[in-house]
Amino acid sequence: MTTQKQALGDREVLRYRKRPRIVHAILASSFLILLLTGLVILWPALSFLAPGGTTRWLHRVAAVGFMSVPIVYLIADREGAKELMVDSFKYDRDDWRWIKRFWSYAFGHTANMPKQGRLNAGQKMHHALVMLLSAAIVASGLALWFFTPSLGATGHAWAVVIHDLSMLALTLLLVGHLYFTFVYKALSGMTRGYVDKDEARLEHAKWLEELEQEAAEGAAEEDKQTV
Amino acid sequence: MSQYAFLLDLGRCIGCQACVASCKVGNELGEGQQYIELIEKTHGEFPNLTGGWDNHRCFHCGDAACVTVCPTGALFKEDGLTRLDRDICSGCSYCTEACPYDIPVMWEGKSSKCDGCAETVRAGGTPWCVGTCPSMALEYGPREEIRAEAHRRAEALRGRYPNAQVYGETQAGGLGLLVVMPDDPELLDIPIDPKVPFMADAWQKVVQPASVGITIGAAVVAGAAAVIARRRHEEELEVLEAEGVISGHADGGEEEEGQ
Repeated sequence: MTTQKQALGDREVLRYRKRPRIVHAILASSFLILLLTGLVILWPALSFLAPGGTTRWLHRVAAVGFMSVPIVYLIADREGAKELMVDSFKYDRDDWRWIKRFWSYAFGHTANMPKQGRLNAGQKMHHALVMLLSAAIVASGLALWFFTPSLGATGHAWAVVIHDLSMLALTLLLVGHLYFTFVYKALSGMTRGYVDKDEARLEHAKWLEELEQEAAEGAAEEDKQTV
Repeated sequence: MSQYAFLLDLGRCIGCQACVASCKVGNELGEGQQYIELIEKTHGEFPNLTGGWDNHRCFHCGDAACVTVCPTGALFKEDGLTRLDRDICSGCSYCTEACPYDIPVMWEGKSSKCDGCAETVRAGGTPWCVGTCPSMALEYGPREEIRAEAHRRAEALRGRYPNAQVYGETQAGGLGLLVVMPDDPELLDIPIDPKVPFMADAWQKVVQPASVGITIGAAVVAGAAAVIARRRHEEELEVLEAEGVISGHADGGEEEEGQ
């Protein structure tokens, strides 16, 4: 027995290793800072915070953190980043059937949902949208940061509207993200890295079956060697 | 609501800077802050020069782009004039980008522009520039009266300046600054057809209030729904546990690390 916790334990399954968890923490913290420091220039109740320039400075520091996420992810966990990228845009027949029953899942029913892999179809769509909207918000944000003088009034208005609409969509996705984290008790996956095995079996059956098969093969291999 | 307006008669402006000074002193503007700037504009080659003093100041657009893009409502329309409440300005500088006349500037991190001497006028006074002008180039009053006066003056000028005209009746929804010009506005680099940025309306009128409203609404609805959905999920877990489909240790399982 090792003291280190098993990736596939009796009760829990390792969902996210340390490195992807750190990448997620950078993304989450930079996003929240960007949201709050962006809000101060839109919301009259908070507008008194903005003129000193501190929130602008914070916004830009957080923006650099936000933009670094794909790079840090690739450096820290190349395979994981690639897998996430590919999986998020690849939908099989079960995924489409899952999407049709989305509302049932949203209200807490896992029964009769098609079996899902490591990412369910909702998570795939979430990730895909986050990637696309992040590209839009980064492009419009860089335009506002560096090219405002040459944008012209109309270009500036477009950049602002794109920036705000993509942030609105990302914030709504965050609401949904937190919603499912709460309903399916998934927070531990991003804090400690482990999730409940029962939850994994209900919500990511194909993934758990894969892990169990791998573990069985590993055990068989070990047996062969010891004989 | 009555509409007020300024009259600026460039046929009478002598470029003396009295309006600039009285505006700055009367409104107690800070160092480097000014609402009016006199810029000498000349076109052509000596000796055939044309041009004059561009009295660069807020035109108080009827459809003001700065008001449309202002996310906090610091810029707003009142009595036909464009006011600025610097207390709630967030310094986003959207107005400086949107204005077709390049009027608002950022001063000490916030927007700065002529607000039509809001305080002075509310107290029954006359705007400082108007009260100081020695050549009667500036007037202030109800817009219709100012408009009639502007036409009288333009008509009177036409004997010597055939192109004399009134600027501001139709531009940007009708300006709160009607300008009597001895010649075409281009000679002072003032646009005949000021361009309001495309999409500016969508920004303030739709996107911004919708963003805050939708986000708060979604968070409240999602919060309530999440509690219900989690309860249903837990009920389902109990049923599945009873049926033996899952092992059923979900309750209290989260804190058992390290055992």
